[in-house]
Amino acid sequence: MSIQKLKDEAARALGRKDVKYLIGYKKGSYGFRVSPAFIEPKEDVDQLIMSPLCNMSLVKYVMMEEALPSLTEQAKKPSKIAIVARGCDSRAINLLLEEKGVPREKLYIIGVSCTGAIDQRKIEARFPQVTEPAEVTEENGNYIINVNGQVHTVPKEELLADLCKLCRYPTPVIYDKLIGDKLPTKPFHYDEIKAFEALPLEERLAFWQQQFTKCVRCYACRNVCPLCYSTICSLESLTPQWLRRSVDTSENFMFQIIRTFHLAGRCIGCGECERVCPMNLPLMKLNRKLAQDAKLLFGYDSGTDPKAKPLLTTFHSEDPQDFIL
Amino acid sequence: MDVFTLKKDSLQDFLSTLSAAYQLWAPLQKDGDTLFEPVLDCRNNLPDLDHQAKIIKHAIFPQTEPLFSYDQNDQIQAPGFGDMKQAVLFGVRPCDARSLTLLDQVFAGDVPDPYYMSRRDKAILIGIACTDPFANCFCTSVGGTPCGREGLDLLCTDLGNRYLVAVLSEKGKEIINKASSLFTAAPAEDIKRGAELAQNAERGIRRHIDLAGVTDTLGKIFEHPVWKKMTLKCIGCGICTYTCPTCYCFDIQDEPMAKKRGRRVRVWDSCMYKEYTLHASGHNPRPTRIERLKNRIYHKFKFNVDTHGAFGCVGCGRCITLCPVNEDIIENLLAVKGAA
Repeated sequence: MSIQKLKDEAARALGRKDVKYLIGYKKGSYGFRVSPAFIEPKEDVDQLIMSPLCNMSLVKYVMMEEALPSLTEQAKKPSKIAIVARGCDSRAINLLLEEKGVPREKLYIIGVSCTGAIDQRKIEARFPQVTEPAEVTEENGNYIINVNGQVHTVPKEELLADLCKLCRYPTPVIYDKLIGDKLPTKPFHYDEIKAFEALPLEERLAFWQQQFTKCVRCYACRNVCPLCYSTICSLESLTPQWLRRSVDTSENFMFQIIRTFHLAGRCIGCGECERVCPMNLPLMKLNRKLAQDAKLLFGYDSGTDPKAKPLLTTFHSEDPQDFIL
Repeated sequence: MDVFTLKKDSLQDFLSTLSAAYQLWAPLQKDGDTLFEPVLDCRNNLPDLDHQAKIIKHAIFPQTEPLFSYDQNDQIQAPGFGDMKQAVLFGVRPCDARSLTLLDQVFAGDVPDPYYMSRRDKAILIGIACTDPFANCFCTSVGGTPCGREGLDLLCTDLGNRYLVAVLSEKGKEIINKASSLFTAAPAEDIKRGAELAQNAERGIRRHIDLAGVTDTLGKIFEHPVWKKMTLKCIGCGICTYTCPTCYCFDIQDEPMAKKRGRRVRVWDSCMYKEYTLHASGHNPRPTRIERLKNRIYHKFKFNVDTHGAFGCVGCGRCITLCPVNEDIIENLLAVKGAA
């Protein structure tokens, strides 16, 4: 993928009268980090980067835009946000469109074909304590890593985020402009979920108990999720208080169950929740279980078709019913 | 001041002695993470001194603390602190030890907080000098140093096959006495080596910011557009505040329990949350992430200076390392300086 093409396309988008700003990636403040970039004047598009280090979803920023102070000021501003979207991000956008969470007219989508992102934890474990900005490119199944003036070649497999290995839609499924080649869609499999489901109940319970005991309820998993956009979140409700503010294994279970169930038939599998978790909870194990059920029971593949109806708002007489008591 | 040598081979014996007499805490590996936890088995789970523990303050200031419980007949039960075991916190970084002296300004001031004090008074801190600082350490920019001694009872410096152990307080001496057979008086060359390492460590700090005048600047730029700009990427989670060793904000809640009892608990709160400043009326004086992020920086670099005479930051770098969207407090402070 050519970065110049992305910059040109971004400049073109910002040149449109109806686009107020663009959300993309820029170099982070240190080491292997990248930062979200919010670009207004088109001269700033030179900041934009696209590399295997671009591992975060930017879709949430569309949903968290702070309201401007007055309606008059709001009315003066053009309405569209341009956004750089990879395959998974485009699925999140699709789902938001399905749910009418965001109107299509509000977005100008610059789709980018994505061959997978690097897991920050893996690369920082491999090259610890790097403060100088590092650069990574992908070539023939390897990452070429330029750090502190030295060039390292590492097989892609070793640093690629685990979820990207499961990615089925590397090419965006919705976009206004596409950059990069169309990559083939990959087959569906949930082997690791099936393996986990095969474990005895006690073992699974013990596993989650150990995991949820670590949760500190920073809510990063909720806040980063492009599909968690309720204006009043049940976790913050005070009357009734569904969730105690006490942090213990039992309340943490409750929290994670609420969070996961709100993503039933919705999660598009970007893995942001798992990426941001400071305690490294394997949250995608829960999300992918629900995605698997949505697929196997209802043939529903969230976020792949903007014209689809959200799974849990529809009923078909041929829907499986044998799980209803 | 006494300085001893402890062979690394003897560390396990030393820790076993400590765990027999004290509640021992240390940075431990758990599922690939380093967490500061009570040591349950010091034979098979040696402290991880190569990584920064994610959170440390919960050893003294737990995330959830029951204050008292009550029933429908106004029978109140408060915890007794008398029989609480003395605790040894092993592997504390100098910045984290300093952070406790900052928490003391809040909890051990004119009206000491009995819950905090019950742990603080009984905690003995064994530090580990940061001879090889982490990527985002910036302690030297906020008045600390990677091999600093403030707040510690013992300071261990890694000399390869042994530790140089400096005794810094009476409590520290007490610890050495518990296992005196494991310690030998440090030879002069070890002491010299320790001093050299401490000097080199300062040079090993890779991130810096000159904060002279930043408090005055903050006094002048409350309404500056820089705040909105630096907040755009913040997702408003609590990672920075919960992992911060100097953040101490809490909420107090009443919770129902079984058998018609209830309890009042104190739980960590975060100024990054909407609920933090939400009024009963529904009004929120910090309605967006902009005001919330701004508050975090004001608290650490202005309000704390105004109230307690020191920055409310020890430069441990956790908020930078653990932020999932690269919100970087050094960059934020540079932006503040630029707005002057």
